[in-house]
Amino acid sequence: MNTEFLALAQMAVGGGLMGMAYALVAYGFQLTHAAGKAVNFGQGELVMLGAFAGLSLSTAALPYWVSVSGAMAVGAALGWFVERTAVRLALQQRNEGWILLTIIVGLFAVSAAENIWGREDKPFPTPWPEGALEFFGISVTWPELAIAAGALGIMTLVELAKRYTMAGIAVQAVSADQDAAELCGIRSRSAISLSWAISGMSAAFAGTIIAPVTTVGPTMAASLTLKAFSVAVVAGLDSSFGLLLAGIALGATENISGFLLGSGWREAPGLILLILALALRPQGLFGKKIIRKV
Amino acid sequence: MLKVENLCAGYSGDDAVRGISIEVAEGSCVALVGANGAGKSTLVKSLCGLIVPRRGSVFFCGENISALPASEVARRGISLCPEGRHVFVPLSVEENLLLGAYPRLPSFGRFRRAASGDLQHLYEMFPRLGERRSQQAGSLSGGEQQMLAIGRVLMARPRLVVLDEPSMGLAPMLVKEVFKAISSLRTAGMTILLSEQFANSALAVSDRAYIIERGSVVLEGASAALAKNPAVMAAYLG
Ligand SMILES: Nc1ncnc2c1ncn2[C@@H]1O[C@H](COP(=O)(O)OP(=O)(O)OP(=O)(O)O)[C@@H](O)[C@H]1O
Ligand SMILES: [Mg+2]
Repeated sequence: MNTEFLALAQMAVGGGLMGMAYALVAYGFQLTHAAGKAVNFGQGELVMLGAFAGLSLSTAALPYWVSVSGAMAVGAALGWFVERTAVRLALQQRNEGWILLTIIVGLFAVSAAENIWGREDKPFPTPWPEGALEFFGISVTWPELAIAAGALGIMTLVELAKRYTMAGIAVQAVSADQDAAELCGIRSRSAISLSWAISGMSAAFAGTIIAPVTTVGPTMAASLTLKAFSVAVVAGLDSSFGLLLAGIALGATENISGFLLGSGWREAPGLILLILALALRPQGLFGKKIIRKV
Repeated sequence: MLKVENLCAGYSGDDAVRGISIEVAEGSCVALVGANGAGKSTLVKSLCGLIVPRRGSVFFCGENISALPASEVARRGISLCPEGRHVFVPLSVEENLLLGAYPRLPSFGRFRRAASGDLQHLYEMFPRLGERRSQQAGSLSGGEQQMLAIGRVLMARPRLVVLDEPSMGLAPMLVKEVFKAISSLRTAGMTILLSEQFANSALAVSDRAYIIERGSVVLEGASAALAKNPAVMAAYLG
């Protein structure tokens, strides 16, 4: 009885820590949706590209922190690129073509990654110590702790920048009322581009903290977009704290159901959560209009 | 200072503004008077770059600004206080005011210090905003929000202030207060373009006025003369 409970608790903690990475990816949705009313349905692929970029930089013998920063820069550039190529035009024409376009950019990213880095999964080196820490019989590995610290750290930094820099306040103004922001001399397009760059940066960073746990491969992000999407829909638009809670809950449930029902059921909670959320609160992430069209 | 020539603008259907020409001289206060749906807001929005004019041009200090986006028009010195206030509801009063000065504040540096002089001046002018500086703008009353919207415009240190129906939805007491603020701006030498439904207060505060009906100017002249015109007063008595 007691050992079984301990095993479950172990699963929940491991899953919950991974869930904080889902929350970080979902945070990227929140950022671009607030500023520009669109999200990147290829966000998971940005996570994967970020992880590969980090891996390539560290194979080039750069120190860990330099590789991670490089990956974040690549992610920021990719986020900016997705907005410029796939989103801006569709939104200007007031249609939802960006949904399809961002999915296509994501698919393209997967095949590009297969061509550049190959299909097989690779380990992601980290400077963290081997072994695990024990708390009350539950063991936590260093890479898992790094996920928690990294996700919390990045989200806190971005939130602070939004509140305490003029650029951040301007981005909030564009989210609140784009026309009024323009009347204040704020270039709303630049503010939206900035949000996409930050969103891409957090996705790539998520890649570098997930990869040490899951390994790096072109399909590592296959279900990540969906999971992050579920988290974002459940937590809604305004609260990054809500994202963390929803992410932790999803990660934990996922792991537990994989453990109890067999690994084939791991993905089930995310889907069920998404269906329930869309059914019970259709205003969720997107407002009614777009849900109808998807 | 501002010269609008034969401007046509509208939304999905017909033109809502049909060939309007107006002029605002530096240091003057000009009123646009017209009933609901006459096209005042459409005119004002298209000269500020919020909607792209279909025909005609807008010159500001000699430069053609008709094709510029609103943010660039704002940076050249035209500040619109839009109809319905449009304060940034989730942000604080002070953040709203700081955003008014956005183009000249450092994006990452000490922006509060850079704006402290202007803020202090503004809080002296509108003490109520000073008392509520850290309150959410959405929690202000309608009149306070109008003061905030005007304050945000002044923070831009504009060369031309455009006020679109600043009295809309306000109790008579507050309307009086808003017009007091406008006339004190005028005495301070600010150039003002004011759009209003109600003729008498608009004509009392302005030097010149244009009467607008269904997208066209039907009458123009010195405000004092228009105020004595019985046809105007019968049609637009406020
Ligand atoms: N966003 C819009 N989309 C479509 N038509 C609009 C829009 N805004 C205004 N109109 C139409 O354009 C015409 C002019 O409207 P406008 O708002 O410029 O009038 P106004 O003089 O400002 O009136 P009010 O005193 O009520 O503010 C009206 O017929 C109105 O129905
Ligand atoms: Mg109007």
